[in-house]
Amino acid sequence: MTEFSHDVLLDEPAYVPPARKADWLMRIGVTIVTLVCFLALFGPYIGPYDPTRTTIRIAEPPPGLTEIPGLMAGWIGGTLDHPPHWMGTDANGYDIFSRVIAAPRTDLKIALLANLLSLTVGVFFGLVAGYWRNWGTELLVRVSDVVQSFPVFILAMVLVALAGRSATNIIIALAFVYTPIYLRLTRAEVLSQTSRGFVEAARAMGNSELSIALRHVLPNSLTPALIQSSVTIGFAILLTAGLSFVGAGVRPPTPEWGLMISTGANQIVLGEWWPSVFPGLAISLTVFGFAVLGNALERRYEKG
Amino acid sequence: MKTMMSTATAALCALTVAGAATAQEILILAEDVPAGLNYDGPAAAIPSSQQGMVTLLEPLVGYADGETIDGVVVPDFDTFEGRLAESWEYDEDTLTWTFNLRQGVTGCGGATFNADDVIYTFERAKSVSGAAPIGWFLSNVASIDGFGPEVFGEDPAAKELGDSIVKIDDYTVQLRQAEPNALLLPVLTIFGLLIFDKETMEANATADDPWSHDYVNNTNAPGFGGYCIESWAKNEQITYTAYPDYYRGAPDATRVSVRRVPQSSNRLVVLRSGQADLVTGLTPREYNSIADTDGLTVAGVTGNENLFIHMNYDVEPFDNIALRRAIAHAIPFDQIIATGYFGEATQWNGMVPSTYPGYTESAGFTYDPDMARDLLAEAGYPNGEGLDAFAEAFALSYVAEKESTLGPIVNVIQTALREVGIPATLDPIPQTQYGDRQLVRRDLPFAVNDQEKPIGVDAGYAIQLFFVSPENGGLNNMVNYRNADLDAMWAEARVDPDTASRDATLAQIQDMLAADVTWLPVVEYRTQWAFNDRISGLKWYPDNSIRYTDLQVEE
Amino acid sequence: MLLRYITRRMLIGVVQLFCLVIAVFFLIRLLPADPVSRLVGLNSSEEAYAQAAAQLGLDRPLFEQLGIYLGLYPEIAPGLLQGSLGVSWATGSTVGSEIATFLPVTLQLITLAFFLAFAVSIPVGMLGALNPGKAADKGVFVYSLFAGSQPEFWWGLLFVYVFYFQLGVAPAPLGQLSPMTFPPEPVTGFMLIDTLIAGEPAKFVEALHHLMMPVITLAFILSGPIIKMVRQNMVRALQSDFVLYANLVGLPRKRVARYALRAAMGPSMTLIGILYGFMLSGAVLVESVFSLGGIGQYAIRSVLAFDYPAIQGVVLVITAISLVVYLLLDLIHAAIDPRIAY
Repeated sequence: MTEFSHDVLLDEPAYVPPARKADWLMRIGVTIVTLVCFLALFGPYIGPYDPTRTTIRIAEPPPGLTEIPGLMAGWIGGTLDHPPHWMGTDANGYDIFSRVIAAPRTDLKIALLANLLSLTVGVFFGLVAGYWRNWGTELLVRVSDVVQSFPVFILAMVLVALAGRSATNIIIALAFVYTPIYLRLTRAEVLSQTSRGFVEAARAMGNSELSIALRHVLPNSLTPALIQSSVTIGFAILLTAGLSFVGAGVRPPTPEWGLMISTGANQIVLGEWWPSVFPGLAISLTVFGFAVLGNALERRYEKG
Repeated sequence: MKTMMSTATAALCALTVAGAATAQEILILAEDVPAGLNYDGPAAAIPSSQQGMVTLLEPLVGYADGETIDGVVVPDFDTFEGRLAESWEYDEDTLTWTFNLRQGVTGCGGATFNADDVIYTFERAKSVSGAAPIGWFLSNVASIDGFGPEVFGEDPAAKELGDSIVKIDDYTVQLRQAEPNALLLPVLTIFGLLIFDKETMEANATADDPWSHDYVNNTNAPGFGGYCIESWAKNEQITYTAYPDYYRGAPDATRVSVRRVPQSSNRLVVLRSGQADLVTGLTPREYNSIADTDGLTVAGVTGNENLFIHMNYDVEPFDNIALRRAIAHAIPFDQIIATGYFGEATQWNGMVPSTYPGYTESAGFTYDPDMARDLLAEAGYPNGEGLDAFAEAFALSYVAEKESTLGPIVNVIQTALREVGIPATLDPIPQTQYGDRQLVRRDLPFAVNDQEKPIGVDAGYAIQLFFVSPENGGLNNMVNYRNADLDAMWAEARVDPDTASRDATLAQIQDMLAADVTWLPVVEYRTQWAFNDRISGLKWYPDNSIRYTDLQVEE
Repeated sequence: MLLRYITRRMLIGVVQLFCLVIAVFFLIRLLPADPVSRLVGLNSSEEAYAQAAAQLGLDRPLFEQLGIYLGLYPEIAPGLLQGSLGVSWATGSTVGSEIATFLPVTLQLITLAFFLAFAVSIPVGMLGALNPGKAADKGVFVYSLFAGSQPEFWWGLLFVYVFYFQLGVAPAPLGQLSPMTFPPEPVTGFMLIDTLIAGEPAKFVEALHHLMMPVITLAFILSGPIIKMVRQNMVRALQSDFVLYANLVGLPRKRVARYALRAAMGPSMTLIGILYGFMLSGAVLVESVFSLGGIGQYAIRSVLAFDYPAIQGVVLVITAISLVVYLLLDLIHAAIDPRIAY
């Protein structure tokens, strides 16, 4: 009984779906991710309202489907006294549509940076722990085990409570949570790479250990971590939203999908569905998009 | 005990099967049920815990009923009436109060009330043995002799009651003050000096815990109130049964169950479904949504709840008075009243609650963005240029747990301030952290606060608490306001025996405070409750807890 | 051998827990606030603050506080070594007794959700694996990707809107029982069991009704990764030598599938363990939507109230349960898969 613990999951190659399957799915994934990236760049500027300025209309429902053409005509014709609230307004009087399309800037920024940070740190320590195997690196792995066994949500909440609600602190909290995953992935890959011949060959050619680790082992061990990235970005968006939902997310009135859902959550039992349903739909599609993309990348990697 | 509990549970089951609560039994939904019943214990500062204490325990004195406003009786703060004390005399020369206690009062535990219970209550307060010495604090506020800070020293004798409060006979107690102080009677009405039933308390004491803190924290607060505890599960529910021999008459509601439903919208749903009789703590919008519903009543009273903006003098740029005034004129008061309170509030034009004795209308800021811009320029920041350097200072803090009530208000303020060029952002922080930073560290730069209700019903008390320099006893001077003139004037007014001249000084102080925008008063809002047709008779008290004994219940 | 393996795992677990306790202890002492002002409230004086801080032991040196928590000074207060998790600063009750009321709510919720997710995932996953490349497989694949990447709290809210507000078939999200029903005397803390012990089938049904939506919400999210795993392991098992052999000798298809399922279940156990451990605190969002006072809610309340002993207790208990679950599932895995030896 050697390496038999709960990390089996991560060491196993993913299932290989049959070729050519679900190409349309891949296209959906790419479309969603492209759209979200576009909104992250331009979303805050293209909405009809400033996403952080209240209007005097509190919790106004969105227009019914039949009213949309009329409103559209009025809007273009300039006969309305204010642009229509396509998704209604929330309990604070914000235009929901403008906030839904402005939010990717916040959500994607947090997810990308948290991922980049945990990827860098995790890969670095994974490489060290996999290449130089001694008691020090063993300790490193055990420490990361402890971090991983810590309840994710509570950890993130404590970290945010410690440092205050800000995007930076959420990025750090998420990175803390995800680093052990990259560390394990990379270490496992390094272990399998070093057992191949090329390390011996490089040694025989007189390369230094450091240069072998960096120039030969690292590039060959990076792929699983990079593939994991797409999945992690999706989950980081979920976790960011979840943190906002329990009051440990970004500060209001920053447009952020989880925060928007939580603003509307209280009133849903009273039938006010629009403040939470639209941002939730956005999260649902975005994370699905990243999951699809991640899966497609995984398949490419498995093939060749 | 166990059998009693299960019989009670069985009785209740029968009830539930029968459908809605039957005759004289009511179900109340609240944010929480008491987390403890000990006013010297860890949960004492939480309103839902205080609600439990005032249900089980009785004070020595109370306020007489005053006017009825919109169907709610409010107290007459100028008239005290006896509760467990029947009458009292005050001797100015010796600063001694003699309380004649009521005879024939019994409590749920079967004990009869007498002077020993009063002595026990003050002994326990002075022992400062609990987590939070609130009984001691109130006695100290009222200048009761011997209740000074020395009780926290090493000398165990300082923790003993001594001769400042003595038993004359079974129904007479004498109490001596250290200096003239008008706050004694007001303080005796407050939940932190309610009288315990000594007999039951001592029966539940242990060697480690001679003052029965554990018992009161977790099981029962034995006293002489109109209700007895039937069952109590923290975080879930508490049920009281009426005490038929209550000295003020058997309560009309024979059984009161309080259930914890943390989200206000959920409480509203159950009330609307007809399954609950009374709910507290809804948001203004939720109260508004049922204002016209048949069979439901929303009652409210402008008592002592208000909302103001807090700007810390110790944090740049809030030391700049012109900037403070600029902010005051940038606040759209009417929009806040309309969208934040649905009309159930009025602009607050003073520095202390307008219902308190000694209040003067001293502030009166108008919403005038142009004037705000001019003042901003005068302050040295034309159009807000240069304010970006203080981005952290302009993060407007508020209690995160109150998001659904405060959210609409802080968002309006944030938008309005940015309209005139002030780079405001929002920073909701948990209640505990907010309290720590407001009271202990005093480092909150900029905040919205709707939870300051001075427990002493008096303008002077509020001024001493909030506006006297921290060094001179301003315990809750959260904005670090320091004004030597004000300190001197209050020192004078504090011991001024003449009400008219005292009020004149207090009025002058309030004008000074308004000129410096010490607080930026925004609105006074109504304390509200929603209930169904079966309930009437609600009264308002300065602690904002309901007395279930007041309620009339239709069958 | 087995005994030695278990002992070794337990020992490692205890060391891990110990490190965790130390880490958490110091981490939360960096928090930017302490709860003293909340305890004293009421605009109290400095002496009162000092008194309250002393009551909480905050005036003692840090290492002495740690020692007390670990139970090295039982004469001051019982600690971990004496089996005590301390006393909550927010309520004055022992953390152990509070966790004992909150934890069963979560355990009940997630255990039911896992059973439901499993009951759905095994046939669905097998359907995919047995029909590779066909429409059913594609459908299963897309579903598992979708369900595995969803914000569960949002689905919970959506379900509340549709099934409570619009259709009226589900109860309002008000916790384990309706506010009008008095809960049975807590014996085990598990509402479903307690109602039966108390002999009240009507309340049992009511509790089940209230659990319906949160369980479905969680099971929906969980079914994503579980289906994916079942399908993947099933495909692998179907390609393995013993299945090829079974097919060659002409065993009935159903029977072969059953063999393959058995082989596929082993590796799936590991995933279940991880998910279960994660859900102990991860169910917090669903608990919050449905007002279920579970352990996650308790954790959040403790963090928001800066209730140090409660935070420490919650982390310790959740992690300890996760470790035990991992161990149990590894043992079950070994029992299913005879190739694993210790």
